[in-house]
Parts: sequence; C-alpha cells; structure tokens
Amino acid sequence: MDKYYMMLGLFLVFVGIFGIIIRKNLITILVATEIMLNGVNVSLVAASHFLGKVDAQVMSIVILTVAASEVAIGLGLVVSIFRLKGYEASEEIAELRD
Amino acid sequence: MELLAFVVIGSVAIVSALGAILVKSPIHVMVWFLGFILSIAASFFALKADLLAGLQLVIYAVAIVVFYVLVITTIPWEKIKMFEGFYKKELIFALPAFFLTIGTVLYLVFNAKLSNMRQMLPKDNVSALGTVLFTKYIVPFELASFILLIAMIGAIIFGKEKANG
Repeated sequence: MDKYYMMLGLFLVFVGIFGIIIRKNLITILVATEIMLNGVNVSLVAASHFLGKVDAQVMSIVILTVAASEVAIGLGLVVSIFRLKGYEASEEIAELRD
Repeated sequence: MELLAFVVIGSVAIVSALGAILVKSPIHVMVWFLGFILSIAASFFALKADLLAGLQLVIYAVAIVVFYVLVITTIPWEKIKMFEGFYKKELIFALPAFFLTIGTVLYLVFNAKLSNMRQMLPKDNVSALGTVLFTKYIVPFELASFILLIAMIGAIIFGKEKANG
C-alpha cells in the first residue's frame, strides 16, 4: 500500500515537470512547481508510514515552508515583471537586464 | 478499505493535477489546484500524518490559494488572455519523454522491495512529531524560520520597487 502512495508521489512530480515544460503562463508554471513539491511530500509521508518513524514528516514540514516562501517570492516577481514590461509569457522574458 | 481509500484519493489527485496543468484559464487552474490540495491532505490523513494534513489544509488551501487568486485579480484580464495556452512543439516532444520516464520509474518502484524494518507509527502523531521536531531536528526548524524571514524581506523589497516605478 505504501508503495502505491510512493508511485503516486513520483507521478505527481513528473506531472509537475511536464507542466513547467509546456505552459506559457508564469502563474501556471508556479502552480506546476507546487504540484512537484506536493508529490515529494506524498513520497516522504509514505516513507514515514512504512518505516514507522515520524522523521520524514519533519522534512515535509520544511518543504511546506519552502513552498510558502517560494510562492511569496515567485508571485512578487511575476507581478513586478508584469508591471515593468506588460507581458507574462515565459518565452518573452529572455534578457537578464535592461 | 485502505485500497479503496487509495483508489479514490489517487484518482482525484491524478485527475486534478492533470487538470491544473492542462486547463486554459488561470482561475480554472486555481480551482483544479484546490481540489488537488484537498486530495493530498486526504492522502496524508490516510497515511496517519494528521498534523501534516492539517498544515496542508491551513497553509495551502487557505493561504497559498488565496494569494494566487489575489495576484490573478490584480493582473488585467485581457493581458492574461494573450498568454494562456501551451507551447505546441514542446508539448509534442515532451509527451513521449513524459510517458517513457513515468513508465520506467513506476516500473522500478513497483518491482522494488521496500525496507522490512516495519514499526508501527506512534498513536499520537502530533506529540511524536513535536518531540522530534524540537529535539532532533531543531536546526532545520530554525533554518525554516530563517527562510521565511528572508522570503518576507524579499517580498517587501519587490513590493516597494513596484510602488516606486
């Protein structure tokens, strides 16, 4: 049973990578990274279940923190890129500085 | 019973994750993402990680989703409409690689033997997790608070720049 949850987590990680590759919209790309982080969380909690220890859940709490700060920084970047340039498709953000 | 729970949770999670990356409009993406978050919280309950399930509900389903929706509403709608959709070429080339990698990895995990040191999880998840968190893993815990502080400072700096320009 734990194996199935681990497979679910891996599948979600690959779905997130797929979403990052194919989507144009920056906000949707951020959502895809959230899906990847959640997949890792599911794998960690499944590992903690079959090992019978709560250590892996501590790592998932750290991942939750990283996800929260990633959303804050990422959405701030999206909004400031949008205000500065007026676009938000990922292919058009090609120059580092101007 | 456990298998039934997994089938329900897993199918909801997979369908809503695929919906979140394949639906066009950003608001619809957020609705699919909300369903995804709820199914992940349900899977944490099924794996007896009660505290993490609660945190998932409070942090993701309340804070992060609301933050996304706020940002989507600040961006003018007609500008968003120009950039929704997919990269067609990347979609065509990524699809076989996606299925190949997923097939390989899931095959490997399915045939793997998990470790046999099976113990039962402690009955009271919250107290066990709190004990481990504040004794053995105190340094990662403090580092997490430091990451949050840095993120807060960064978000304030981005916001200021936006107000000036």
